[in-house]
Amino acid sequence: MLWVDKYRPKTLDQVMVHEDIAQNLKKLVTEQDCPHLLFYGPSGSGKKTLIMALLRQIFGSSAEKVKVENRTWKIDAGSRTIDLELTTLSSTNHIELSPSDVGFQDRYVVQEIIKDMAKTRPIDIKGKKGYKVLVLNEVDKLSREAQYSLRRTMEKYSASCRLILCCNSSSKVTEAIRSRCLNVRINAPSEEQIVKVLEFIGKKEGLQLPPGFAVRIAEKSNRSLRRAILSFETCRVQQYPFTSNQAIPPMDWEEYVSEIASDIMREQSPKKLFQVRGKLYELLINCIPSEIVLKRLLYELLKKLDEELKHEVSHWAAYYEHRMRLGQKAIFHLEAFVAKFMSIYKAFLIATFG
Amino acid sequence: MGKRNSVVILSSDDEDDESSLSSNRSYPKPKLLITRTTSREPKKPRFSGSRSRLSKESSNADEITFPCEDFDEFFYGSKVSAVSGRNSIKELWVDKYMPRSLDELTVHKKKVEEVKAWFEERLRDSKENLKNNVIVISGQAGVGKSTTIHVIASHFGATLCEWNAPTPTIWQEHMHNASTGVHYSSKLDEFVNFIEKIRKYGLIPSSFSAESKSPIVLLIDDLPVTHGRVAFERLQNCLLLLARSTQIPTAVLITDYGKADSADHTARYMEELQLSLESAGACKVAFNPITNNSIKKALSRICKQEQCNVTSELIDLIAKASGGDIRHAITSLQLFCVKPDLGLSLPVCNSTRSYSDGNSHEINALISGFSLLFGRDETLSLFHALGKFLHNKRENEATMVSDPDAFFVRDKFARLPMRMDAPEKVLCQAHGQARPIADFLHENVLDFISDEAMEAVWDVASYLSDSDLLLSSFHGVLTRYNEAESVLQSAAASVAVRGVLFGNSHPSPSRWHTIRRPKLWQVEQLLLRNQKETVSQRFIANGGSSFSNLSDVAAEYLPVLKWLGHGGSSGFEADHVHAYKDAWDDSIEKMSLDDEGGQISDDEIEDW
Repeated sequence: MLWVDKYRPKTLDQVMVHEDIAQNLKKLVTEQDCPHLLFYGPSGSGKKTLIMALLRQIFGSSAEKVKVENRTWKIDAGSRTIDLELTTLSSTNHIELSPSDVGFQDRYVVQEIIKDMAKTRPIDIKGKKGYKVLVLNEVDKLSREAQYSLRRTMEKYSASCRLILCCNSSSKVTEAIRSRCLNVRINAPSEEQIVKVLEFIGKKEGLQLPPGFAVRIAEKSNRSLRRAILSFETCRVQQYPFTSNQAIPPMDWEEYVSEIASDIMREQSPKKLFQVRGKLYELLINCIPSEIVLKRLLYELLKKLDEELKHEVSHWAAYYEHRMRLGQKAIFHLEAFVAKFMSIYKAFLIATFG
Repeated sequence: MGKRNSVVILSSDDEDDESSLSSNRSYPKPKLLITRTTSREPKKPRFSGSRSRLSKESSNADEITFPCEDFDEFFYGSKVSAVSGRNSIKELWVDKYMPRSLDELTVHKKKVEEVKAWFEERLRDSKENLKNNVIVISGQAGVGKSTTIHVIASHFGATLCEWNAPTPTIWQEHMHNASTGVHYSSKLDEFVNFIEKIRKYGLIPSSFSAESKSPIVLLIDDLPVTHGRVAFERLQNCLLLLARSTQIPTAVLITDYGKADSADHTARYMEELQLSLESAGACKVAFNPITNNSIKKALSRICKQEQCNVTSELIDLIAKASGGDIRHAITSLQLFCVKPDLGLSLPVCNSTRSYSDGNSHEINALISGFSLLFGRDETLSLFHALGKFLHNKRENEATMVSDPDAFFVRDKFARLPMRMDAPEKVLCQAHGQARPIADFLHENVLDFISDEAMEAVWDVASYLSDSDLLLSSFHGVLTRYNEAESVLQSAAASVAVRGVLFGNSHPSPSRWHTIRRPKLWQVEQLLLRNQKETVSQRFIANGGSSFSNLSDVAAEYLPVLKWLGHGGSSGFEADHVHAYKDAWDDSIEKMSLDDEGGQISDDEIEDW
């Protein structure tokens, strides 16, 4: 088991990073009424960890006995029936799913599953009617229609089920949903917090941490705790005992992006752009999200760039990142950014060196 | 108008009378015409007489053929009176001058000979010693595929059996049938059943038992339309079985639509079907479009027989415009020969009297106006259109006419005039859909930009990005047939094409380029597959207790897991590329069909 999973806090009390939020959640749940919740924050900040711990707090250890199910939902949409296949993760008391997996038919999923859940409402020992919890991942990727239908079902079935929504950016969740939920913002952990966690894991694993080593990992992790723990583990495999100036292996795709960046810096021509396109395809094929590719590429380019160009390049990166979200095929926009960069950089080189 | 209605009703009531039906059916246009002219000119005595008789006899079902014939007679009679010395036209010329003998065929001699030899072999020999009894004839519409078979069959005195495609069931009819309990069977089912029967039992010529001595040839002209892969595969399998085991000489006719149009699924399927039939041992003959000379010869022969003097330039024009489609050429000719009357009758409708004087000058003007009527719309293959856009041919120097109305643009934005039609027109001719056009341009444009011109590259890239933006606006919403969608589509195509044309201000020196198929399509397929795989992996990654985002899995868990698993990084390319190599090869194989279309050389484009 990866350390990320091994040292994931199981209960709200064990949480090391967002203790205050964890305590608040605990208080909320023990008062027997849990509102709908919306967790949002950058990736690797601990949203899912908190949600899992919260479920355990509500339902006890039964929340951990989950089974993966690949269910087909038959949905009657007026004149035709639609078959949707979706993987769900469920225990007796909760179901977790990512509706955005099914693309633009996500609205059916939301309605149908919630309806289905409401039908089989659990009754607890005291004879009191309990409620189920539905965990929806990546709510920000839901289509607008799905979000509207989610709003309706939230109200209709609020007696029998609670929703826990999880997303990276709350700005893509409609106002209507946000106002019906208790919004929980999960910050990215600070570097000190990450260092603290890493030292904790090191102690548990019985590792000798040279001074400054954890700090370096934390710096490299871009304030993502998951990232930090993962690279900590790779370091452990790579070389132990640690040395304080040990290289922290980057992700392979990051290496690849920096290769692309140096390609771009070396030569600016349509031919090079074509080669770069091939490499970008390679990244996209491996499911690396295009936004992350662009972000990383910008990061790598900025490292090598002269001060005076940084502003303009960042501007264009932002411009094309926006278009990428609006557009359909990421490569068009990624490539336009690279072309723009090449054009700027070439003009700059000519102006400087003649 | 009332009169026309009565005639139509009569003829459709009387379905078993073949002659009146066909004569009526084949003339939808003249019929319309005549009612119009007659209603406007009630003074003609012939007409009023016929009308009274019609109404009298409409009650008498037995004599129904008569009013129809009378009608025809009347119609052409009136025409004769309008144009003196003209033979009355009884038939469509296409049918009338259908070749009756091998010599009359306009198809290339060699091809006819090939088909003939094939049939001769099948019909003469006893059936046992020949394995394959299927011939596949392909060619674009109107090159005489069916005619050739008909002529050859009659040449050998064989009976020709055709698969008569059943009439399609319309929705209302289906609803009605469903309520009365009649079972619906798809046309494909019916076809498959038919083929099965033929294959197992052969044709049992019950209806023509008297002439059962004559050999039988089966002609399948009308393949059922298939939607989607499954239906197509069924059709394919059924035809394959036929090709392997039938005992009757069978001709399968396949009409080629524009081959290069890779967006069109039917064309792709048809090509696949041909290949598979060939591999099953069927003999394949491809008919080429009929040459201009042959068409001209045929047309002038018809002209001579019809005694209408059409200038040779005009025949030339018609032949050229037909694009190798003889049926079209003959119909155009007929239409043209009717036209002087049309020209006369139209102004009468408009009640301008000047034309009745026979002002020859104005009639000539009319004819030249009408000459635009015939001729197929010129079509371009997708690749020709792309070639035009990518090569970006422009005039060498600005032939600027100092036009006071033209607004001046800065030198930076000024471009030399293009040496082609407006891009939108070219797009129209190529039936270009915005998305594939944008993809193709994106894939290929970099080859055509000079190495120095980075600024131009960015211009092009940004325009392509714009067009992608336009294309995605309606993505996911089912508004396929929406007006707004189609406007958006054409706008996006226009932006993409014009962006490429404008942006590429420094084209690379003209040389040989192949137009590649967008790699993006493969990438998308692979991406989809990998996404599915990753979805299944995300439970493993997270210890099975929870979901995690797809992007997290792909970008963080998987690399680490791989790292841990392999104990060391072996580089991104090496690892991943190998895993995808197989998938890649697969998809390339599947796409090899289109690739032949993709290899278009520069000179071909120049030629156009």
